[in-house]
Amino acid sequence: MVSLDIAGMSTQDVNRKLKELIRQDDDIVVKNPHSVHNFATALKGSRTVSVEGSTGFYTGGFLQGPSIIIKGNTGLYTGDNMGAGEIIVEMNTGSNCAPSMVGGTIVVKGHSGSRAGWGMKGGNLIVCGDVGLWCGKMTLGGRIIFLGKVGKGIGESMYNGVIHVLDPDVEDKLGGNVTLISIEDKEKKAVEALFKKYNIEQGVDDFKSIVPNVSGRHEYVLFKPTHKRTEAPK
Amino acid sequence: MTENTKKVKVKDIQRGVWNPETISEIKYKAATGKHRIRGCGSTQKYPSFDDLLVLPSQLSRLSIDTYREDCRTQTVLGSRFAKNPLVIETPIMISGMSYGALSKESKTALAKSTQIVGTSINNGEGGLLPEERDNSYKQVVQITPSRMGFSLANIEAADALEVICGIGAKPGLSGHLMGSKITKEIAEFRQLPEGIDLHSHPRHGDIFGADDMVLKIQELRDVTDWKIPIFVKIAAGRVKEDVKIAAKTGVDGIVIDGSEGGTGAAPVVATAHLGIPTLPAIVQATRALEEMGLKEEISLIVSGGIKDGSDVVKAMALGADAVAIGTGTMIAMGCVVCLRCHEGKCAFGIGTQDPERRKKLDIDDAAQKVANYIQGMTYEAVLIAKAAGKTALANMEREDLRSMTLESCAMTGIPLMGTNYTFTDAFGFF
Repeated sequence: MVSLDIAGMSTQDVNRKLKELIRQDDDIVVKNPHSVHNFATALKGSRTVSVEGSTGFYTGGFLQGPSIIIKGNTGLYTGDNMGAGEIIVEMNTGSNCAPSMVGGTIVVKGHSGSRAGWGMKGGNLIVCGDVGLWCGKMTLGGRIIFLGKVGKGIGESMYNGVIHVLDPDVEDKLGGNVTLISIEDKEKKAVEALFKKYNIEQGVDDFKSIVPNVSGRHEYVLFKPTHKRTEAPK
Repeated sequence: MTENTKKVKVKDIQRGVWNPETISEIKYKAATGKHRIRGCGSTQKYPSFDDLLVLPSQLSRLSIDTYREDCRTQTVLGSRFAKNPLVIETPIMISGMSYGALSKESKTALAKSTQIVGTSINNGEGGLLPEERDNSYKQVVQITPSRMGFSLANIEAADALEVICGIGAKPGLSGHLMGSKITKEIAEFRQLPEGIDLHSHPRHGDIFGADDMVLKIQELRDVTDWKIPIFVKIAAGRVKEDVKIAAKTGVDGIVIDGSEGGTGAAPVVATAHLGIPTLPAIVQATRALEEMGLKEEISLIVSGGIKDGSDVVKAMALGADAVAIGTGTMIAMGCVVCLRCHEGKCAFGIGTQDPERRKKLDIDDAAQKVANYIQGMTYEAVLIAKAAGKTALANMEREDLRSMTLESCAMTGIPLMGTNYTFTDAFGFF
């Protein structure tokens, strides 16, 4: 294991150094991250990078294999376009976590903001705390698991993938073009396996699944008049 | 009743607002309660490059021999920060058109044409088709809001990246791909259910504002190790402001797409009424970069309605470093601009995913025709540039142009033909 103090380093230098160290096949401990943006961009390999503090926007973007463990918080767009590997955030993330994620797993032990899982295409996103509005909007694949409260518009216009939720009020918060169903047995096993792997103590029986409506056309409401439309009088 | 006093037939009366198109649109909305979707883009009559003329060399300038002297066309784009800028042999690029909107055969043909003439193709929304990458001379990869079919592998295969904020045909709107085109193959490529109408994201899930985009561009620099150029594509609207913001995000080039730009499917009302055309847009973009002192650093690429070499040479005189064409290449392959791309029944095998219709397109023949078209356009541009006394297309200047109409004079600041005068400093360049 090697230690890397990145205080005062530019993002470019941080990423170059990380790539250099991970090529030496060592686990890395990063000190003094000071919420650096674009941390570990497109990092490849199979080693673990532990960060003793918080990182900024676009943490682990385009990640391709390593495990990134953030002991603090991360900013917006954590794991954007991530392809493989893990990002484990011990505290909270900003909004838009895992946008357009392709593969791998992101685990947020605390809360996340709005639009978590926006346009996800693969992989797993687990948020142990609460999330905000429009989560899982237009996902094209992957598995999203929310253990806490969710915001309105969840799953809006999903085309593929699944969102598992515990929030008992989720039915009132669904986005358009999705359906709420009971969690299937095979899904339970997949969720259980993820919980076991990431030491999340939570049963799976109470989860419900949000799945896309895949037949026919999506329905949209382009404007919302207060007047309720009725048939013309005969 | 004499010949002169006969009643005019209704069909012969000149129509103003209540013309057949208006009537058809009203009837469509009355029947469906929806706006109409159509292919190809706007049918509006916009001010165009045809409203400008090029001044030839005579005694005040010496002309270059059309047939015996050289005029450089090689174009270098994106050298602001990228270690390996995009080098193409003609300033005419092929713009982003998706696999999905177009057939695999037409995308392959377009890619092959770039090998013939030495230019670039852009994959458009919906993933990078292996047949396109394998056959392209230079590959531009779009980073679209939906990121369908997008991954690190796409970036690694690219010669340049294009972060797209919008297209001229429907700025501010998301992409549309009608269910008729989402076959099993397209559905798998884009991770969509088969046969469903797609309305993709209008904005990026990982770029919520200009400040974030600065970081996003830095991220892409880290991903690409500063090797390949990064462009941003903007639909023409508030061009001056948008170009200044784009420049500050740290890109190497800016693509401005005027409202003449094409599309596979869009609401008719959007194509006709959103955004401004290419001619005024390029003037504003050039002025914005000049005001920032970045005109020589940042490449400016314009698209939307570019049809021939005269458009190319005029666009370059107004400040463009290159142009991008889409609809013209489809016409070269056989398209007749029937405005029905969205139906997926293209009889020429271009805008369709139907296996039988796709067979209509001979890939190699189509590739040669597109290459011929681009070569012919380049010849036209060179011919005009040489007549204007230029030994390089990039040497075209504003003072080589004159406006044919008061409108184009006011819009561009190019003096009215026969004069050296413009309206006021409030207009155009001067």
